Amino acid sequence: MIVLLVNLEENRTLVETRLKSLFERGEFVVTGEVGPPHGANHQLVIERTRLVKDYCDAINITDNVRGIPTMSSMTCSYYVLEAGAEPVMQMSARDRNRILFESELYGAYAMGIRNILFMTGDHTLLGSHPQTKMVYDLDSIQALGLARHLMGGTDLAGDKLEGTPNYYLGATFNPYADPMEMHVWRVEKKRDAGAQFFQTQAIYDTSRLEEFMKGIRGYKVKVLTGIIPLKGPKMAAFMNRQIPGIKIPEEFIERLEKAGSGLKGAEKRSAVRGEGLQIAKETIEAVKKIPGVNGVHIMGVGWEESIPEIVKGTGLHPRPK
Amino acid sequence: MSYMIVMDLKSSEDILEMLDSFEKIVLFGDSGCAQMCDVGGILQLEDMEDFLTGYGKKVLGYIFVEGGMCDANALKQEIDANMEMIEEADAFLIQACGVATQAVVELLPEKEAFPAVDSKFLGVMPERYHHDERCSMCGECVLHLTGGICPISRCAKGLLNGPCGGSMDGMCERDPDTECVWQLIYDRLKKLDKLDNIKRIWEMKDWSLARGPRSIVHEET
Ligand code: SF4
Ligand code: SF4
Repeated sequence: MIVLLVNLEENRTLVETRLKSLFERGEFVVTGEVGPPHGANHQLVIERTRLVKDYCDAINITDNVRGIPTMSSMTCSYYVLEAGAEPVMQMSARDRNRILFESELYGAYAMGIRNILFMTGDHTLLGSHPQTKMVYDLDSIQALGLARHLMGGTDLAGDKLEGTPNYYLGATFNPYADPMEMHVWRVEKKRDAGAQFFQTQAIYDTSRLEEFMKGIRGYKVKVLTGIIPLKGPKMAAFMNRQIPGIKIPEEFIERLEKAGSGLKGAEKRSAVRGEGLQIAKETIEAVKKIPGVNGVHIMGVGWEESIPEIVKGTGLHPRPK
Repeated sequence: MSYMIVMDLKSSEDILEMLDSFEKIVLFGDSGCAQMCDVGGILQLEDMEDFLTGYGKKVLGYIFVEGGMCDANALKQEIDANMEMIEEADAFLIQACGVATQAVVELLPEKEAFPAVDSKFLGVMPERYHHDERCSMCGECVLHLTGGICPISRCAKGLLNGPCGGSMDGMCERDPDTECVWQLIYDRLKKLDKLDNIKRIWEMKDWSLARGPRSIVHEET
């Protein structure tokens, strides 16, 4: 899966991941997300990976989303590899200083992890450990720069590394965030710091994304549109309230309510979830048509079973070799 | 608008607990930050006296420094003028900032001085009883690049390449009542035609400058 091409001038083109080569071949890429266990059972990572791996080209491991502690993204990424899939390891700037970033980046490379995605990280006041001392020694852009720096063979102090790592670096953007102009510039900053691919916040109303994509035209970056299937109107309302940067239009919430009205129990549940999947599929069909979109990133958020459904339902299965 | 070290009175349980084994107390306050934050003005010293008396303590009197306890000479003069009371006291309760409490510890090391307040931040008071943070003394000011608006103390994550993806409609992802400071910085720099300042990548900050204990020795000129 990981082919190292030597003797290329540009350091960051040295590494070849499946994710990167599919982008380069112009495939419409599908990545998925596996939630790390809220505890020490690594078998869950393997099980969840097996559930989705034939439907995704690479699998993201989230990093303590909303400051709720889960198994380390590096450890989980290792088990994703063990289960026969390619991981995208997420690293947030909230919980690590520059020393731990360097240390984990060496470790991740040693374990065969190549795709690394950097993010700012949610504020801890939104999660279960609000008393935490947040780190933010670096922001996500500086952390990207640090990873790229390590690829040059020295650490931040300029000392030579015992083994130079190579990564395929990614970052995120949120088209709904304000001010848009500033967020467009941040994509450019992230690219200049080393990011070659981007995953977006979950998209529902596609018009902001369309506008944003016009803004970043010419930036030469790969973009995966974020998709979170809605399990029901309650989840949608919760996300609007509690998940930073999400905007789910009322109209979708009404559709979910309508799908379940007059029904009860398991029947209601499956009707509502079916509508959630339908919305996700429609969104994918819509973003496929937006210039500059290179694929989708489907986040199951505890509903990993939805990923195969969505991928099959949008004609994106089987995945290319 | 006033500018100050912003403080908040500790809970009555906390204050009683720290004074548990002491009976005769002298209260310290001033007409500067302590009064403006409504923690150590004359009114609050009187309230504290009533409260402590109700719990069987004896408040011998006040050391109230006009201006502020940060005026070391004024503080010393007040202490000297009230030496008898100071000598009779078992402990001191300081209704002013953490620096003030430590100043009393250094001036009167024979007895213990206790903090009646939590020192919170450097901030402004747009109206009485309302305080907002403005500076966290990060050691290397960047206000010249941000149109005079501080991202270190006013961004909930202290980001240098903000805003984060949680900034929406001008508000911070942390809570619906706090403005996203990066939106404010953007708006201001746009007006000043200086957006280039934040278009480029800001390098990693030297946080060692923000950690104590810090000392500065200015050269005499
Ligand atoms: S940049 Fe640093 S010194 Fe300047 S106002 Fe902000 S916290 Fe204070
Ligand atoms: S929303 Fe704005 S102020 Fe709040 S953490 Fe993000 S960048 Fe900082």
